[in-house]
Amino acid sequence: MARVPIEPGFFRIPDDPDEPPRLLGSRCPSCGEAFFPRRLVCAKCLHEGTEDIELSTRGTIHTWTYCHVPLFGKKDADVAGYGVAQVDLPEGPRVQSILFGGPDDFAIGMEVEIDLETLRQNKDGDDVVIYRFRPAHAGAAAGPGSAPGSTS
Amino acid sequence: MSRGLTFENVAVAGIGMVRFGMYRDISYLHLARDAGLAALHDAGLTLADVDEAFVGYIQPAPMLGIKAMKELGLTGLPVTHIENASATGLVAFREAAWAVSSGRANVAMALCFDKMTDMTGTSGRGAGRDQIDAPILPAAYFALWAQRRMHERGTTPEHFAAIAAKNWNYGSVSPFAHRQSDHVVTAEEVLASRVVAEPLTAMMCCPADDGAACIIVAREDLVRSRHPGRPLVRAIASALTSETYSPGHTFIGPVVGPSSMTRATALECYEAAALGPEDVSVAYCHDAFVNEELEYYELLGFCAEGEAEKLVVEGETGPGGRIPFNTDGGLIARGHPGGPTGTAMLHEAVLQLRGEAEGRQVENARVALTHLVGGGSIATVNLLGVERS
Repeated sequence: MARVPIEPGFFRIPDDPDEPPRLLGSRCPSCGEAFFPRRLVCAKCLHEGTEDIELSTRGTIHTWTYCHVPLFGKKDADVAGYGVAQVDLPEGPRVQSILFGGPDDFAIGMEVEIDLETLRQNKDGDDVVIYRFRPAHAGAAAGPGSAPGSTS
Repeated sequence: MSRGLTFENVAVAGIGMVRFGMYRDISYLHLARDAGLAALHDAGLTLADVDEAFVGYIQPAPMLGIKAMKELGLTGLPVTHIENASATGLVAFREAAWAVSSGRANVAMALCFDKMTDMTGTSGRGAGRDQIDAPILPAAYFALWAQRRMHERGTTPEHFAAIAAKNWNYGSVSPFAHRQSDHVVTAEEVLASRVVAEPLTAMMCCPADDGAACIIVAREDLVRSRHPGRPLVRAIASALTSETYSPGHTFIGPVVGPSSMTRATALECYEAAALGPEDVSVAYCHDAFVNEELEYYELLGFCAEGEAEKLVVEGETGPGGRIPFNTDGGLIARGHPGGPTGTAMLHEAVLQLRGEAEGRQVENARVALTHLVGGGSIATVNLLGVERS
């Protein structure tokens, strides 16, 4: 049974289920600004043509909330409550994401790390997944230059 | 360059709206028709007098605006669709006012309508499940603002609840508000309602409803000749911006841009009008989620940064206050169908400037400010004024 992204082009799912997913970003070769998601034209200096990068798997919470309405706003969604955060990544991008954990598990400034949430199964029986952040465990994070498999 | 527009020789000829609510059995076209006819009647005009129309809605269905205009008559006038998410109605007004100001039309109409009760399928609020930015809802997005504000400024849920109670209580004295409470709403009641996304409770959030609202603008001499004794409400200036990149920008989710968009847009509009916040008598803002209103007190220039909470505690944005906000209940109580939200806001602003806002009239209202943000994202600020004979 495979894992497939909710929408292609935003994050990479490693073959090894113990490895974290990687957000797919861009870096401007002219001004150095980094972005998520990928884009062709630099949003800061308007340079055309950016370099593909994979973003760090850890960041810090800029702000967060805990929601008591169903994910996607759908009445039939099987989620009672969940956190949502803006997470600042070391490369610069601020990423909005759902959180894995309870209402007392997060704080502004806390370090979090990325993993995957299974939303549902598609008609082929694959798990449809989206990225989420959870409180960071001790240990090294995968940085932008690290090879697959180097994450603890 | 400043991109704000200054309008010349543009007055409000007529306003009309269908009170927002849940109209499951009434079609879009009939909601639009009734608002359009009410505005034509208020203006003392027929569709034959209207040179151009701008129609707005956010329901993802093409052609509805052209069809709605045909309910008012088939006169061959140019009709253009405007869609700018929650800000649609104000932007349709801006285009109508510019059509008159530029001299290409003597009379122009902005007609907006929507039915949130009919938002189905893979679009609209709570978008499809196959989209990366679908899981996070607007309530969560604005709760993120609120949480950050509380962290930085020591704002409390009680501040937010006080603003929500004010807007609920304004709604109960406006005949055009969707939510009309049969009792005085207290901050305690707001705080005790169901938590949606911390710290926002259900009573701090706008409803999803249906409705239509229309505003007709025209050359000043035409408006004077139809209603010689009526105070002349003028469109003064308008500003509209999209996002400017800044560090910490978010691109995925129900993005409504950095809150600073509102500050930049207001500055453009004040500059185009040669007015400042001290000249404004009454203001309307995008209070879909109540903490927004608190932020906009500062961003629209009505108090210094960090002093919005003081404004709330001192009741300066309620009845009898220095700068009353959202006197028809705002998005929270008047309602927020989407497209017509902005034209309903203008409806109330015009009533206030004419001195016809019974039960909630701001004394000697001379200048009204209307502000909305729209997903995607954009922000718009528009100023209207009045000349009393």
